[in-house]
Amino acid sequence: MSREYALNDWYAVGDAQTLARGPRRTVLLEQEVIVSGTTDHPKVVDAEGAAYPATFKYGHVWTSLGDAPRPLFNIPEADEPGRRLVPCGVVRVKCSPLRAVENFLDIAHFPFVHTGILGSEPHTEVAPYKAEIRDDVDEVWATKISFYQPQAAKSAEAGGDTQYLYRVAAPTTAVLYKTCPPKPEAMDVIAIFVQPRTETECDVWPWMALYDETSEYAGLVQFQQEIFLQDRSILENQRPVKLPLDPKMEIPTRADLTSIAYRRWLKSKGAFYGAMTEDA
Amino acid sequence: MQTAPLGLLRDLDPKRVMRAQVGGQDLVVWRASNGDVSAWDNRCPHRGMALSHGFVRGNDLACLYHGWHYGSTGACSYIPAHPDLDPPETIKTAVFSVAIADGVIWVSTKGVAQPAPVPMASQPLRCFHVQARSDGLAHACRTVAFEGGAPEQIEPGLYRLGARRVFVLENPLDEDRIQVTALVDADATPNDCAALSRWCDAVRRLAQTEKVAA
Ligand code: FES
Ligand SMILES: [Fe+2]
Repeated sequence: MSREYALNDWYAVGDAQTLARGPRRTVLLEQEVIVSGTTDHPKVVDAEGAAYPATFKYGHVWTSLGDAPRPLFNIPEADEPGRRLVPCGVVRVKCSPLRAVENFLDIAHFPFVHTGILGSEPHTEVAPYKAEIRDDVDEVWATKISFYQPQAAKSAEAGGDTQYLYRVAAPTTAVLYKTCPPKPEAMDVIAIFVQPRTETECDVWPWMALYDETSEYAGLVQFQQEIFLQDRSILENQRPVKLPLDPKMEIPTRADLTSIAYRRWLKSKGAFYGAMTEDA
Repeated sequence: MQTAPLGLLRDLDPKRVMRAQVGGQDLVVWRASNGDVSAWDNRCPHRGMALSHGFVRGNDLACLYHGWHYGSTGACSYIPAHPDLDPPETIKTAVFSVAIADGVIWVSTKGVAQPAPVPMASQPLRCFHVQARSDGLAHACRTVAFEGGAPEQIEPGLYRLGARRVFVLENPLDEDRIQVTALVDADATPNDCAALSRWCDAVRRLAQTEKVAA
């Protein structure tokens, strides 16, 4: 029952690298699928050979298993000239796909989980910011976020305040915008595309669209992967494994406005795959 | 659930945090800088992070995820994201009763911890985990020779090994896993203890092999 909403969303199930290596046998929403083809003509089939829609965008192969897929969200920054598009590989995490997204939306953990990189004590305060469900686009947005970071990006030379903006485009897709050290007037884009294998296990595909012409590709990916591995050590140790939507189960504060909006939004849509609901 | 033995106090230095289990309840057991031992539900009320990954700051336990502090009563005392906020009293971990007796950490998940009586003047020997059932463990304790002689079981859990006695406390973790806390006569020498500790290793190995054979 909880798969119902999820079936009609789009999920990243491979990237150019996995395509180059040959067919990728993987699991999406508990169903086995095989991802193959080229970036021009990706192919997704199930174990019986039945084909699913497949398209290559934002450095990844996207597919949907439902009969009436919602449109694939747009990330306009992907087409902006001057940005470097950096797919960051895949990280397997034994956690709910929704917990993975919620962690991505959270800044209060930076000083403790990404110590010395995205945050550091005593700079722990989360100043008031704005989080909202935008009904017109059916997305969650968080704006006016500012946070002190010792090394905001690979390209950062010193610590400083970073401005953040978050956008949740689908229950398992979130995009963040953050001020970009070499180009203060622009914003770097970092996204996570979460492939839910089951309600309690996912493959996370980070992807970036950066203004950084100097860093080596390998260095950029390594920086991002290091951060994701730190997040994984948290994500695999949260209980319950599924994300509780009942506000009584986990106690938030003001710093959690984005998470509160995200949970509310999931609940209002019936996007329960990976969630714990009162009656479940 | 009765009060369970969760190992030796000497293995938990001040400022250390460990994970434990009593009758299916996942616990964080930790020791404040002042030496006090606490046992709580291993779950941060904020976003469910296992508190056993946390760290001790003074006499508080801090959660690894967002650094929230919890004092000895289990109440949240500090939220780093809002340094000036006095955390509401409703933010509180589930606290369990702890007692220290005979150098053993005892915890009850229901009511006040009541340590089991130890039938001799004792000192701590060691704590270990064994993949076996209780009867398998007892059988191994009766079987593994010590300094050439067969052990004698005096009463359940109490064994005579040469000139010494060892008292074996069990905390069943699941069907076939036991956390064992072993005590020895108070006047056993360090040499006795080292030899008896090796005997414990042999007991564990035998209990696990026999389990595989069965
Ligand atoms: S989950 Fe423990 S402080 Fe947030
Ligand atoms: Fe993180």
